[in-house]
Parts: sequence; C-alpha cells; structure tokens
Amino acid sequence: MATPTDQDLIERWQDEPAPLLPLLHAFQERDGYLSEEAMRAVGRGLRIPIADLFGTVTFYHHFAREPAGLERPRVCDGPVCQMRGTEVLTASLRAAGHDPSPMPCPGRCDQPVPVITGSEVLTGRTAGTLVSGPSPLPPFPPDGTEECVFAGIRRPGRATLEGYRHHGSYDALEQAVTGMTPGDVIDVIDASGLVGKGGAGFPAGRKWRAVAEAPGTPKTIVCNADEGEPGCFKDRVLMDHDPHALIEGMALAAYATGAVRGFIYLRYEYPDTAGILERAIREAEGAGLLGDGILGTDFRFDLCVRRGAGAYICGEETSLLNSLEGKHPFPRNRPPFPVTHGYENLPTVVNNVETLASAPPILLHGADWYQGLGLGDHAGTKVISLSGDIRRPGNYEVPVGLPLAKLLHDWAGGVPDGRTVQAVTMAGLSGGFLAGRDLEVTLDEPSIRPRGSFLGAGGIMVFDDSRDMVAVTRQSMEFFAHESCGKCFPCRIGTQRLVERLDGGGPGSVDAWVDEVADLNEVMKKTSACGLGQAAPLLTESLIRYFPDRIRAYLEKGA
Amino acid sequence: MTMKRNGTPSANGTGVGLTMTLDGEKVAFTRGETVYEVAERHRSEIPTLCYDPRLESFGGCRLCVVEVEGARNPVASCTTEAQPGMRVRTRTAALETQRRILMEMVASENRDLDVDPMHGYASQEMAELLDRYDARTGRFRGATSGTSRPDDDNPFIGRDYENCISCYRCVRVCAEQEGDYAISIMNRGFHTQITTEFGGLLKDSACTFCGQCIQTCPTGALGDLKALANKDVPGETEKTRTICTYCGVGCSVDVMTRGDRIVGILPAMDGPANEGALCVKGQFAFDFVGHPDRLDTPYVRDEKDGPLRPSTWDEALDFAAGRLRKVVEGHGRRSVYGIASGRAPHEAAYMMQRFIRAGLGTNHIDNCSRA
Amino acid sequence: MSNPLADMEKPDVIFCIGTNMTECHPVAATRLKRALARGARMIVADPRRIGLADIADIHLPIRVGSDVSLLLAMAHVIAREGLVDQAFIDERTAHGEDFLKHVERYTPEWASEICECDPDDIERAAIMYGGADRGAIYYTVGITEHICGVDNVQSLCNLALMTGNLGREGTGVNPMRGQNNIQGAGDSGALPNNYPGFQSVTVPAHQEKFERAYGRRIDLETGMTKVTALDLCGDGIHAMIIDGENTLVTDPDRHHCEHALKSLECLVVIDLFMTETAKVADVVLPATAWAETDGVCTNTERRVQRLRAAVPPPGDARPDWWIVSQLAQRMGWEGFEFGSAKEVFNELCSLSPTYAGLDWDRIEDGEYQWPVPHEGHPGTPRLHEERFENGRGIFKMLAYRDPEEVISDEYPIWLTTGRRLAQYHTRTQTGRAGGIDYLLPEETLEVHPDDVARLGLEDGGWAEMSNPRGRVQVKVHATNKSPRGTVFASFAFEDVPVNVLTGGGYDPVTQTAALKACPVALKPVASPAALAGDGGSGAPALGQL
Repeated sequence: MATPTDQDLIERWQDEPAPLLPLLHAFQERDGYLSEEAMRAVGRGLRIPIADLFGTVTFYHHFAREPAGLERPRVCDGPVCQMRGTEVLTASLRAAGHDPSPMPCPGRCDQPVPVITGSEVLTGRTAGTLVSGPSPLPPFPPDGTEECVFAGIRRPGRATLEGYRHHGSYDALEQAVTGMTPGDVIDVIDASGLVGKGGAGFPAGRKWRAVAEAPGTPKTIVCNADEGEPGCFKDRVLMDHDPHALIEGMALAAYATGAVRGFIYLRYEYPDTAGILERAIREAEGAGLLGDGILGTDFRFDLCVRRGAGAYICGEETSLLNSLEGKHPFPRNRPPFPVTHGYENLPTVVNNVETLASAPPILLHGADWYQGLGLGDHAGTKVISLSGDIRRPGNYEVPVGLPLAKLLHDWAGGVPDGRTVQAVTMAGLSGGFLAGRDLEVTLDEPSIRPRGSFLGAGGIMVFDDSRDMVAVTRQSMEFFAHESCGKCFPCRIGTQRLVERLDGGGPGSVDAWVDEVADLNEVMKKTSACGLGQAAPLLTESLIRYFPDRIRAYLEKGA
Repeated sequence: MTMKRNGTPSANGTGVGLTMTLDGEKVAFTRGETVYEVAERHRSEIPTLCYDPRLESFGGCRLCVVEVEGARNPVASCTTEAQPGMRVRTRTAALETQRRILMEMVASENRDLDVDPMHGYASQEMAELLDRYDARTGRFRGATSGTSRPDDDNPFIGRDYENCISCYRCVRVCAEQEGDYAISIMNRGFHTQITTEFGGLLKDSACTFCGQCIQTCPTGALGDLKALANKDVPGETEKTRTICTYCGVGCSVDVMTRGDRIVGILPAMDGPANEGALCVKGQFAFDFVGHPDRLDTPYVRDEKDGPLRPSTWDEALDFAAGRLRKVVEGHGRRSVYGIASGRAPHEAAYMMQRFIRAGLGTNHIDNCSRA
Repeated sequence: MSNPLADMEKPDVIFCIGTNMTECHPVAATRLKRALARGARMIVADPRRIGLADIADIHLPIRVGSDVSLLLAMAHVIAREGLVDQAFIDERTAHGEDFLKHVERYTPEWASEICECDPDDIERAAIMYGGADRGAIYYTVGITEHICGVDNVQSLCNLALMTGNLGREGTGVNPMRGQNNIQGAGDSGALPNNYPGFQSVTVPAHQEKFERAYGRRIDLETGMTKVTALDLCGDGIHAMIIDGENTLVTDPDRHHCEHALKSLECLVVIDLFMTETAKVADVVLPATAWAETDGVCTNTERRVQRLRAAVPPPGDARPDWWIVSQLAQRMGWEGFEFGSAKEVFNELCSLSPTYAGLDWDRIEDGEYQWPVPHEGHPGTPRLHEERFENGRGIFKMLAYRDPEEVISDEYPIWLTTGRRLAQYHTRTQTGRAGGIDYLLPEETLEVHPDDVARLGLEDGGWAEMSNPRGRVQVKVHATNKSPRGTVFASFAFEDVPVNVLTGGGYDPVTQTAALKACPVALKPVASPAALAGDGGSGAPALGQL
C-alpha cells in the first residue's frame, strides 16, 4: 500500500468521534515523528488553532517532535525498575549505538525492564535480550480463594469471542437486555457494593444512576484504561487476556444508563493491548453484541478505542475527557462532574477497567455473591499489582479486607534474600509509604486511610531493608514532578520544590528542611486542584513520619 | 481589577431569595454566581492571581480557596457556584497560612518580585499580595521557572517569562477575549512555558499585538514596551479617560501621562464598547500626538505659487477670512464649500456646518464618509 | 448599527459581507469570535479570503461588485424554502408580496454566473441565515463603496425584513463605521441634506427652526456632496475649508482631485500634520489632536462618549471648533462667540431631536446611545424594536447592475482596496507611532499565486498596475488570500497611491465613490531602484516634509 497522504489521513479520521489523538498517532506512525507540517495539516483538518495544537502535542511524553523520535528507545525509570536494572539496560542500549531516554513506568513491574521503541514495547535486562509479549497471567490465589474478575482469565482462548462465549459469557448482557430494565441493572450493581477500582472508590451503582437520570443525550461510557500509576499493571492483564469481559461490562453500563457511545481510553504504553481490544470489538460487532440492534433488541452501543500519548494526568477522569475531546489535558474544575457534564459536556460514566469488568459476573451471580467475596464487612475483591522486593510479583485479586502481611508472605512468597520489608507503597505511588507497625493493615480503605494513605488503584511496591528510602522518595517525587500538568500552583511548584529538597537542595538543617517540606506537604494536600497534587506529598509526609533518621543522615551527608 | 461582569442580584432576577452564609453573615446571591463573586461583593478581599473577571474561572492559583462546611478540603471560590444554605469561611487562620505559603512558593519561582508599574494594568498584583502576606521570606528557594524571550524583537510586547507564574491569563485572554489563539501552553508542570506555535516569534504567529496579554499579566512577565520606554520620564503618572482615536468602535482608554507627555495607554476595563479590549492601534499607536511633525503654528501662502510660511493666528485667520470674503464677493455665497472631519469631535463638525449654514446660508457641507 | 455592539455576541447566525472586521474593527470582531466560540455559525461574503473567512462556516468568494446578485439569490432561496417570517412581513413591512414575487426569477444558478460562487454554497448560506432564530448582518464599506452601494444596503435590508431579523437582540443590519467620529460628523449636521439630528434641509419647518436659531436665511435646497463639489472646483466652487481630511490621498482619482484643489481661489486646511492636501492649501491651521482635545464623539453603535484632553497641544495648535468659530468671527458674522467645547455641544443638543435628552454633563459615563429624545430617556441601544422610524419597512425591488467599469482584455484584473490592521488610513498617525512599521513596513499587492505565474510576476518582485487614470508600482505578495483575477492593496502608503487608479463612478444616490472595484492591467517591472531617475514612484517618505 502506498504511504497515505496528509489528506488521506485527515479524511480517515476527521469525521470519527474523538479524532485528534488517533490522527496524531497516524501521522507519527507514518513519519516517525510529528513534523511542523504534520501538525499544521492536523490543525487545519480538525480546525484546531495551531498554537493550541502545538501546546497540546508538547504535553504528551510520547509524541516525538524530532525526526526519528519515535524510534528512539525510551527506558522505564520507575522506582521498581531503577532497583532492577534501568541503569544497566540504558548503558547497554547506549553501547549498542542507541540514544535512550527515560520514561515513566509503562506498567510492566512484574516483568524485566521495559523499553519502548517505535510502536513496540519490549522488556529485558540488556539491549540484546529484549522481547515482547503479553502480560503475564495472574498467579493462582492460595487455598482456592474465589475471584471475580480473574475467575475466567486463565482459561485458554479467553481473549477471543469464541473462548469467552465458550464459558457462557455475554450471558450477563443477554440477561440484562432481554429480561431486565436499566433500573434493575443499576439496582444489582448498587446492591453489590461495587466501588470504583481506579482509585477514588466511588460507588459504581450511584454513578450509573446519576448518569441514567441526568438530562442530555447522547450519553457516553468511558473506560479509563489509562493505567498510568507506577506499580499498577492490573488493567493490562485484564484487557490482554479478557477483553470481552470489559466490552460486556461497558455494554451493560450503556444499557443501564442509556448511553449509545463508548470509548476505551487506553494508555499509549499498551500498544499490543490496543490490537487485542480492537480485534475483540470487531468480533463483538460481528456477533451483534455491539453496534445497532444488540442481541436483536433496539439497544445500540458503539465502542471504540482511543490511545493516549503518555500523560499520567490523563488517568484523572476530567483530564481524560479533555484529552479525548482534543483539548489541552488539564483537569476540569469540579463540580460539575462528568456524570452530568462529561464527554462533550454531556452525561458520562467514567469507570476503570476492573470496575467495568466486574459488572458481568455480578449480574450473573448476583449482588449478594459479590458482597460475600469480601472479608468481614467488606464487599467484593480488589486486584493488587504487587512488585518490587517480593518473590512472586504479579496481579492478585484479593478479598477486600485481607491483611497486607498475608498477601506479601502467604500469597506472594515474601521478601527474597532473607531480607525484611522496610516499606511498601500504596495506590502505586499515590498513597505514599506504609512502614513499621502500619504494615499490619488490612487491604481496605477503612484500615489504610487513618494511616494517611489509601489503597487506591491497588499498586503495591515492596522495598526491603536495604533500600535507601530517601532515594526512593526522590525517584517517586520526580515522577510526580514530571507528570504535574502545570495547571495549579501548589502542585506545579510544590512537586518541583520537593524534588529539589530530596536531591540536595533546600535548607541544610533538619528543622528548617522539615519545616519547609511539611509546609509544602500541607498546602499541596489541602489546596491542589486534583488528586495528583494532593497525593504527591503523601510520599514526603510518610518519609518524615517513618524515616526521620534517614532524613537526618541524608542532610548530614549533604553538609 | 474591579470590573464585574456579573452584577449584583436584582430584585426581579431568577433565584430571588437565595442566601448563603459568608463569614457568619447571611448574604443573598443570584443563581450561577460563584462564591468568589458573592464574596467580592461583600468585600471579603479574597486573594487571587489567575482570576480576570472577563475570563472563565480557571482555578489555577488556588489562592482563593475558602472553607465550605462539609467539604474535606478547602475549595477554590472562583470555580465554586454559590449554593443555598452553603456556609463559607473566607479568612480563617488555616486559610491565611495556606495562602501565605502559596505566595512564598510563587515568589520562589520568579527572578524579580517587583516590576515597574509601566509593565501593564495588572502588573502589580503579585507584588501587592506578597506584601499583604508578608511573603518575601526567601523560603522554598529553588529553580526559577520559565525561559524569557529576548530574541523576540517586537517593539510592543516584552516576553520576560522568568517572571511568569503560569497563571495562563495571557493564553486565556488571547483565546477567550480576543479569539486569536496566538499563544498556548507548552510542556507540563514546572517546565510549562508560554509559547506561540512551534515556539516562534509573536510576529510569525496569529498574534495581532492587541496587548491584552500584557494588561492581564499579574507579574510583569509580559510588559508594555512602549510604556516602559517612558518609565524614566519624571513625574507622577496620571490617567485620563477618553475614547480611542482610530476606528468607529469607540473603545474607552485611559491615557497615562507624566507632565505634558503621554507615556502609555491602558484599556478601560469598564469601557462600554470594549470592556477592556483594545487593538494594536488603540494600545500602541499613540505617539503621533507628540510627534515632531505636528503643526504648531498656522501657515499662509501669500501668492498662488509661492511657499507656505509660518504665521500668527491673527494673521492667518485674517488672511483666510479675507480670501474667503473675496471669493464670496466674486462668486457668491454658494461658491464656498466645507468638509468636516470624521476624526475630529462633534464640536468641530457642528461648527463647520454652522459656519456654512449660519455664515453663508447654504448647505454646502459634507464630511469625509464618502471616501 | 441598528443593534448594540454587545449584541454581536448573541446571534445564532452571523452574516458578514464587505467587512474585513478583524483588521478594520478588531475589537468588534472579538465579539463575533466569542459568538462563534459559544456555537454561532458564520457566513462571510468577500472576494478575498480575509481573516473572518478563515473562521467562517461558509465563505462566499464573490466577484467584486456582484453583491446584489448574491443577495437576490439568497432572498430567492429563503422565499422558496419557506424561511420567511410572514408575521413580521405582514405586521411591519410594505410590498412584501411583490418582493417575494420579484425574487422568484433570481436563482442561485443565475447569481453564480455573476458573482462566481458555487450555487450550492449560496443555497447553504441562504438556508443558514434564513433558518436562524437570531440572524445578524454586518457590513462595512465593502458594501457601500460601489456604484450600487445603496442597492447593496437595501438588498441586505430586504433579507433582514423578510426573515424578521430586525429590532431584536442579536439581529439587525449593522454597518461598522470606519472612523472614530464619522457617525458624529453626520449627527452634528455635516451633511448637505441634513441639519444636526438628521433633520432634512428640504423641510420648511426645519429650515425655519435653524434660521431662527442661527439668525439668518438658509437655503431650502440640499447642498452639494463633496464629490460634486470636487468636480466643480474652479467652476462654481472657488473656496474650500477642509478639516482633518487628506482628501488628495483618500479620494478616488488622485490626479483629478489634485487638479481640483489647485484650481480653487482659496483652500483652507485644518490638520495635525502637513499632509499632501495641506501642502496645496493657501492657509494651513494647526489643530489639537486626540488626547489634547475636549469634546464628544459617537461610535458605530450610536453611543455618545466624551473625549478628554490629557496633554497640552504643541505650540499654537487650537481645537477645530475654536478655529472655525474664530474664522467666522473674522468673517464678521455674529453668534460664533463660543467659549468652550461644552457650550458648542450643548447648542447642538438643543437643536437635535436625537440628542434632545443629552448635554455635556449627562454623557460623562458614555451610557447613552441615541436617539435620546428627552431628558430622563434611557437611550436606545436597539433600533426598530417596536416600530420603524417611518412606519413600515419597505422592500425594494432591485436588479443587478455591473460596475461602471468592468474588466476587459486591456484591463483584465480587478483591483480592490481597503485597510490593514496595523496601519490606519493614510498613516498620518500610525506612520508616526513607534513600532507600527515593524508590523507593516511597506505596502504590497496581494496577488493569487496562479496569477503571479500567469502574468510573469515574481513574489517579492515589482509590478505596475495601470488604467487610463494612471499607474502605480508596487511590490508583489503572492497569496491565496486573493482570488484569481483580483488583486488587493491598501491605500495606507503614500508611495503606493492606489487612489491614482480608482474612480470608476459613484453611487447615484449617496455619491459614494466606487473604491472597491477597479479594472487594471498588471505587468512585471524592474525594481524602483533600477528605475531611479526616471520618475519611478518616489514620493517623499514620511518625515521628509
């Protein structure tokens, strides 16, 4: 096939929903970077002012603006990979004649160090041993613990429609559209106690009901698959191995709320997943499970995948919506919330992959079943992405309320090399650290939040007693500084100032250092406009809480 | 910045009788008003840096956070709509501490904390808040943000981004107020930079040099270069409200003078025709007024092909009247024609037609609207 | 304007024709852009791809001078598609039925032969405007500076009348006035047919009123227009007083104009600078400038606002009103003993029904838009809300007429003229403002790249435009902004005096000159440097006066 012209690409996308990102990707794929001419063509084609478009392109980490920029290897410098060989791999790439640059965590903390080059993600320890492949399947839980979203994932062929249906799935959708009212569906989800698994933990049933009741059409279901939190890689495994579960969950949400269109906003770093999802959507459309007249009824739901381009903030739901709409991906002011003013300012459900994939089994097995999966008073399950100094890293679907120690030691084999747990992160990096006696928490928000942290999206990184926690905090804060969008002052300035103070800058005396850092923490937590700026200081807060002696040592070394 | 687009609640407007509690006092508001707007009306003096009443609320600087009963964290009052029964506190000790720390943080990212007021209309906003919060403490020292653009050789808009605090008022005024979209936001976080398309010069962008970005900048990162060229002219700056001299839109401006000299132009935020907007001519093309080419004395031409020579008023007026009288005597009163100016005030046009009608009794009068 | 500037943010559909608003009225254009940002749609009819066209939903690149054909066809479509506001036509207009019948023959296909636009685009534009709840029309001198200027304006009125787009928020037929007080000059009676306040000079009651006020007999007949007066210089008109107008450069057919002024026995010019016109005067009187003068001006939305002096004038410069009143006194006339601008303005208010409710003190804050018929009246932001001034809105049966001069084998290119953003008029002011030349240092002729190639021109090279009235040399700028066959230059720069070429007729009613459509020949020439010594186009630069 001949190389498409600018006009070909623009005509391919300009009348599609949310066309900006796919069009920019198409130009980048064609040219190996985004040239000035390409951006001007896109700006004209989509009638976006060129200065705005340029600014927006610069926002995303993975849009290259230099020739051949797409091919330039980008190596993960997340905290876990830094412990496991970022430096070695980078040196090895350099020796092989490449010019590698760092990138934030691309969600493969259960594999060797990842590298993105061209449109491929590879993992390995050295330049010569890089391989690509799907997400590792989740390890089996001990003692036959019952799972929800992972229950069918290990079955062979599950990613195909045939494999998915073989085990009776899409039954939930069929049951809903042929035998239940939208209100019935919402009632079941509501009663199950299902909460959002992306971090905020908002009850899914309430969100669906709000959208169902909100005025304005068309309504939209957006799956937040921008799994950008370092140490989180659970959505990837769900989409790689069980894409139809997500599609079915989204169709259920659409039926329940009256939505007719949907987007899976997928992070850039999961290119293979994009192919898997696209294929699954085509299969579902072919089988009358998406599109017009689903399952022979007059229910219609169109679904498409949109790839991000490397911006952690786009996991924040309102940034995500701006990104989809082709705007500068700053978070929006809330209220109004997406349930009333979401995509194109119309009612929109934004749910995480795990949340949506939970809906079909809940519909099939009932609200009580799901409730009962949790321990004690807690409802349901939560997938934990476990990485770092742990024998069996990977994704574990645990009953909510499981003791952390049990997960670390009984499920995942404990810390290797005879070392002990010094600290773990919570919510990827967003929950800061737990250490000391606080490692005795159970995996549920009521247990964790009083300790100044939260479970969030369920990423846990383990650091053994040999790790330099000041350095880990610095690496982590560098991530937040890199990803701070620049909209609000406390986060934009605060993340920078905290990095500097963890990297030899700021006052030299412990008291003055702690005084400044504590003030930054407090103002960021209280006044930042979104979760990023509110969460970043939890790292420094927990550093001060658990490791005052390390701070002293760090500052003394600097002096 | 005191102009308000949203007025006070009207007795017959929607949402009559809506009230909330503001610092312990029950106050009325109109549906759609933000907490900030309500508080402004009650002189709560909430600090802000990213707010311009002509623009959509942005919620970036977070200085305007207030405590709302029932909310976990303080909320930005500029983006929060007032709700019936809401209980808001605008000046608690905790809020004031947070604001002080925020101002210390802001101060830490700029090269200069004080700039000449000739930079622009809003250029003192940051400095005033630093004073108010006693925030020139030097805490949070670190890297400065923003890269200045001394390479931009345009004669109007100074781009000294080392004094930029990323409030994006310039970007927003360019988009929302002007509709030009000449500038935007490049990069993220601390590395954010105000940019044109591909980082080029303003003259190669969609910029129309209206100067609105300068006038909304709260730090003097953007500066009015024409006014700044006069910053050392002695004397106090005085302002005179008048109307722009160029096209027919009739924009209100405040002419800044020192002594007998115009030193710059400020847009009038409450100008009924322009509401603070101006164009390149109204903002910058004022210095023809004191130009050396100006005529400062009458001239007469004694003979048809002779030269024009300077004269006194007495001589020139008598000379002109004599010539005109001669024409009237020789050719009749209908042989004299008057053309009034579309650029001069009413009084000029009125007097010209009065001259023709009351003096000569004809209607041989026109103005330049036919060209 | 029939409607206030604030209404520009409120239409559903905006129809701009013959107005390069982003360059000529930039601040007004910002309001249109805000309307677009909140979802309004826009039609732009202009031969050139001007700034507004870039942000329009439909751009109709009409051939210069063909507006009436386009507007007739739009009326045809609106009628055919049943988009007329019958209630409005019935209640507020006259001859509506005749008009709907009249436009039956003017199809978009017919118009497309004349205005050279795609008939489908004409159709779409008509349906867009006709279907609007609030449709607003904006125009400038691109409509009026034609031999059919009045027909153009009346065609626009027909569209507004048939769709009921008058007298409501966000509607109207809105001319954008080009000079800061051109509206005020008319308001003040500087018109051959009207006393102050648009009181016709041919109405005996008005005559009587002013005779009483001025203590002198005044003719009952309309005076000459400026155009006629210039034509009759030396032959009926023997003296002129010109205030603040560079007639020589701004008026069409410069050679004719220069000859006219030189044939006067007495020319008195009042101005700020020694303009080209002042240089041929017998007496030049120095006026105070903007920011040196107290006074009043009226903007395009009829808002009466105060001008205030901020600095003293240079040397002996004096306010225009003082100069003229002194001259009158030297003529030996009584009643010209005014002591201040305030006294002058208050006399105007006392004689003008549109200003009857105003005086100097009352306009302090500029909140009044005329008419203000009596004290206590709030002013009239929007005209025609309840009724039209003269009873009913009258449809006019118009037909298309060619411009007086049309392109030919000899003169195959249309020249159209206008302004540019950074410079104002003949640069007497902006040319002396520091920095403006950075944005626009010289004039260029905008030529479509295909024409550049076809005519053997070079982008950045020099060309000569000519017609029987004269020739002008100018640097070529190849740009898609110009359509094929039409070139554009502004009249700002003295060394590119395009008004040497213009002058192909006047509107028969208003005698407005046809400055927008002028056939010329265009050919490449060597650069003026190579021409040094043979006369070239070497007019003196500013500052070398």
